[in-house]
Amino acid sequence: MNRAIGLIFCNYLSDSLQGIARDRPVGAVPFGGRYRLLDFVLSSMVNSGLRTVGLVTPHHYRPIVDHLGAGKEWFLDRKAGGLFLLPGSNHVLAGKNIKFSLKDLQVNVEFLEKDYAEHVILSGCNQVFNINFQKALEFQNNKEADATLLYKVVTPDAPASPGGLWLEACGEGRAKKIFQEGFEDFNPAPKRPKKPGKRFLDMLIIRRKLLMEIIAGCVDETADLVEAIGENLKSLKVYAYPHPGYWARIDSVYSYFRHNLELLDPKIRNELFMGRDRIHTKIKDNPPARYGSGAMVKNCLIASGCYIEGRVEKSIIFREVQIDKGAQIKNAVVMQRCTIGKDVVLENVILDKFVQIKDHTVLKGTRNYPVVLNKRSVV
Amino acid sequence: MPKKECLAMLLAGGQGSRLGCLTRNIAKPALSFGGKYRIIDFSLSNCANSNIDTVGVLTQYKPFSLNSYIGIGTAWDLDSAFGGVHILPPYVREEGGSWYKGTANAIYQNMEFISIYNPDYVFILSGDHIYKMNYSAILKFHQEKKAEATIAVIQVPWEEASRFGILQVDETGRILEFAEKPGLPRSNLASMGIYVFDWPVLRQALIEDEANPGSDNDFGKDVIPMLLRQGKRLFAYRFQGYWKDVGTIESYYQANMELLEDNPPFNIFDADFRIYSNEDAFPPHYVGPKAKVKKSLVSNGCTLLGKVVNSVLAPGVFVGAGAMVEDSILLSNAKIHKASWVRRAIVGENAEIMENCAVGINTGGDPRQAGITVIEDNSVLPAGSLVEEGEKAPRTFCVTG
Repeated sequence: MNRAIGLIFCNYLSDSLQGIARDRPVGAVPFGGRYRLLDFVLSSMVNSGLRTVGLVTPHHYRPIVDHLGAGKEWFLDRKAGGLFLLPGSNHVLAGKNIKFSLKDLQVNVEFLEKDYAEHVILSGCNQVFNINFQKALEFQNNKEADATLLYKVVTPDAPASPGGLWLEACGEGRAKKIFQEGFEDFNPAPKRPKKPGKRFLDMLIIRRKLLMEIIAGCVDETADLVEAIGENLKSLKVYAYPHPGYWARIDSVYSYFRHNLELLDPKIRNELFMGRDRIHTKIKDNPPARYGSGAMVKNCLIASGCYIEGRVEKSIIFREVQIDKGAQIKNAVVMQRCTIGKDVVLENVILDKFVQIKDHTVLKGTRNYPVVLNKRSVV
Repeated sequence: MPKKECLAMLLAGGQGSRLGCLTRNIAKPALSFGGKYRIIDFSLSNCANSNIDTVGVLTQYKPFSLNSYIGIGTAWDLDSAFGGVHILPPYVREEGGSWYKGTANAIYQNMEFISIYNPDYVFILSGDHIYKMNYSAILKFHQEKKAEATIAVIQVPWEEASRFGILQVDETGRILEFAEKPGLPRSNLASMGIYVFDWPVLRQALIEDEANPGSDNDFGKDVIPMLLRQGKRLFAYRFQGYWKDVGTIESYYQANMELLEDNPPFNIFDADFRIYSNEDAFPPHYVGPKAKVKKSLVSNGCTLLGKVVNSVLAPGVFVGAGAMVEDSILLSNAKIHKASWVRRAIVGENAEIMENCAVGINTGGDPRQAGITVIEDNSVLPAGSLVEEGEKAPRTFCVTG
């Protein structure tokens, strides 16, 4: 076993997710019927044998702590190691695109100092995947690398990822260049590779001692770890390592909507959820979902504790949602404890938690611009 | 070890032999119920919801799956540093040892364990009943009546009374007479097999009962009648609510099916009194584009591509395209493959029904004779099999692949 500890940057903020991430950090955004985005990275780390995971928290971390507790569901409530909450620095000046703020690491350097692990796995928390890091760790060991950056080969027709990072690597995997995709606020043609490229997955393995050196040498308040690595590609042994499996980044309402509905594809669902390594989440002990005699459900994921009397098609229904008689729901993501009244028609919508849709309401968005209703809205 | 006010002893060693092949490999308390639950969840959740944090679970019959399911009680929040769940199998002493001979003997053999906590009150519970009960209410009753032992009772239909332990009580609730499975019941107050004892009284009674060579060492048959003869203060606590001992395949089937009614007599949807269970990490269940699901309970991790009507589905069940499941109970990870029909059946855990099978199909027999077909755990029914529920077939029968 390669000894490694995990470090998750859970302080991503986003204003491109509209209301979905208004009152919660991106890591706490509900996904896939019963999960939060954070579950994917946390479960992947735990399933890879990591037993010490630090979590850099944003200033409004209540939903994160509410979800994680002592980390019991991820087997992290332990004597040796466990879950560590690391308060992030309040970097008001920091640019939006800082992923791995060295300042955040600096104020929490004790977490790194007091461990003995050889490597640290760092990751963001706005992504959906199920990766076992053991192979990447082996790769890092075999290459005697200073750092290993995970990437996925992406075809040019994949949706843009403004501000996302790309890698260039030579034959045996040594990273040559890290560069950023342009922002496209007003420019529909972002700067990005014209042929299949290596998209950096915001996940990397780095030697713990090296990480501490970089942190100690950092004077800039807004410095980013990947930037620091990118500037030293010549002096450091940095490798790129491919992830062949499923991976999705949630960085807009559209991607949130699309990747949720993508779970209806059995191939993706089985890869994420039904393999040896499971995605763990907070357990609510709900009863099974109950179908009434009027229920008509097609191509949906339905979580526990739901009560369904209406018609639902191509949708993701979270826990304890009630759907009344005559309701017709299509292409929807309906979060926990929403209630949908009689004869309601919903199409291309995202309902945040506790939304109430009263009888006979009709709400329709489009496939690219779904209607988003904020938490506790009543319509 | 700090002293405890209450300690619960949960009898979970029973085989449940009348459940046939459903309990061939597991103890009855480990049997799946209501989709995601196992029968022991109800008693353990009652303890958790009643603030009883010290529970001894007495196991004997095929305990492996039960032991691993309970673990240290984490799923019920019973993994406590002071108390918690203790699994108590029979054990060997200096001068040999023996299996648990009866319910009273099982507790007798574990008196040392109870003494460690030296409780004021001991609850004797059964791990194979389906009910929700806040035990603090019966404890309060026990204390108010200054009882030495209290038995929870429930009114049962007169015609069924002779299947139970039947009590005669006076107007204050004091028990006058106790008759185990009487031929001519004189009341319809049945014992639920839930007892609260003052620990010293229980201790004394168990020692005396053990010394009696003619005793079967059973609470209902021996200990309670003995205490009544001794003139002890025994009271009956009347329980209002749902309580079921699913002892037979028919009653097991019926109790599951009742959950599908519009207003089910037993409410598992109550958020204020949750039934906890030790669940696997499964995603929400998936319903395919050509599936039809009606009047059913469906657990996490299921994949439904065919038709499911009036059925209870445990976690991880698969129903293939063109398959039809009707009036059935599918236990964990059961798989019904393409174009198979399953009617009025209980399909065991990990059992697989391959393509184009027909199970529980009645080809012209009297529908009133309809029996329940049981496919045993882990069995595989080869493609194209027909398991008919014929006129001459036993009311329930098992199919082993």
